[in-house]
Amino acid sequence: MVTPDLASEEDIAKLIIPDDLPDEQPTFKAYIEAKVYDKEGHLIQYHRQPMRSLTQYFLALMAIPIIGTYQGALINQAPGILTSVLGLPSSINAAYDANISWDWAIQLGSGTQAFSPTLTGLAAPILNGTGAGQLSYGSLSVSHAGSTIYVSIQVTNTTSSTISVTEIGLRGTIYIQYSNGSVSTYSFLLSYDTFSTAISVPALGMAIFQITLSFTG
Amino acid sequence: MMVGKGIEDININMPRDAYDIGKDTPTFRAYLTIVVKDSEGKVVKVHRQRSHSPTANFIGLMLPLTYFNVTGNSYTIETTGGSTYNYKPAINVSAQCISYPNSAYNYPSYIVMIQVGSGQQSNPYTAYSLAAPIANGSGQGQLVYGQPSVPPNITVSGSSAYFIISQTFNNSSGSTITITEVGIVVNIQTISSDGNNLTNFGNVLVWYDVLSSPISVPNGGSVTIYYTFMVNP
Repeated sequence: MVTPDLASEEDIAKLIIPDDLPDEQPTFKAYIEAKVYDKEGHLIQYHRQPMRSLTQYFLALMAIPIIGTYQGALINQAPGILTSVLGLPSSINAAYDANISWDWAIQLGSGTQAFSPTLTGLAAPILNGTGAGQLSYGSLSVSHAGSTIYVSIQVTNTTSSTISVTEIGLRGTIYIQYSNGSVSTYSFLLSYDTFSTAISVPALGMAIFQITLSFTG
Repeated sequence: MMVGKGIEDININMPRDAYDIGKDTPTFRAYLTIVVKDSEGKVVKVHRQRSHSPTANFIGLMLPLTYFNVTGNSYTIETTGGSTYNYKPAINVSAQCISYPNSAYNYPSYIVMIQVGSGQQSNPYTAYSLAAPIANGSGQGQLVYGQPSVPPNITVSGSSAYFIISQTFNNSSGSTITITEVGIVVNIQTISSDGNNLTNFGNVLVWYDVLSSPISVPNGGSVTIYYTFMVNP
């Protein structure tokens, strides 16, 4: 039975905005791992830490499988979360069929910044290339085992200097395809974390960065 | 570049201490809040628990294009009726991806309901329907389903952000109704952007929870279920 002072909708609303329920297992666990190899292929550094910093854009992306892309069966408009947070169009204003899909990417950086759920980018992204301060990004790998999704990327340092990685982000790109063949893209930062210790990729060495997203069942 | 052979002997995929030991703060949480009112509108019970369980359907719908492009795999989505469909989005005009609103055609993918039931099942991940759904109606053992409510925005508060979906159910059955399981059901349609291929999957269970204790809804009363999804709590 609820105590008598819990009577108003406002009281109830306060209960809906959650604080922790410490005796229960978490719904979600996420980790960041980095393995660094020298130019001879020897593992020289292994680092792992919890991921702590998902953005509001991750929340909006995961809302798509939960609330869909329409406001209702007869409402030919996108839900407000998709339009207000992700900036997607409310409706395609043309006689086109349209659909939506998305992809992810891992981005590395050499800066640091305070976290905000509205962050849109890394502080100092490390560019893809072979020039000074750049890393060659390989292809993204995505796999899943049950409710755990693994995202990883291999980067190679082809420069003559060590490159220090201090921040990592999971980026998302949403694609809306139209029947006329055109595609609109919308890019977001889905997560942002700084490494508790910098990851140093030696000259001619390489590293594998992996993000593990585990929804516990 | 060659990777040293000895590295293969090192178990570095996921050390034991990387698993949750109760000391890490998860970056995402989901909560269930359930408010029961009697026939006079007085709150008689508030129930709160962590929500644990996105289903396999959710994971498949969440996967990015790279998964499908690299593996060449499709993902099997199973509807609440037990029908299965292959989901394999891609960037080309003939690939079927989730439908998006447009002014000419209406192939909606939308939240159908928060569904409640009186059964339970042990593996929520593999659940594709509730064990014993409570039907919508005023007959014996039934609840009158309201419409799901979805907020127009995500609320940001400090480093946290969240959104809440909710739905109210009224009990006009003549007897107390007991709820033991809850899920979120969406209707998924996929369409190729050239419009030549269209598949209506129908109702798909994407989230499922067994309640930590049963919820009794008195005759003439109501129950409102709130799902809160939150990052960086």
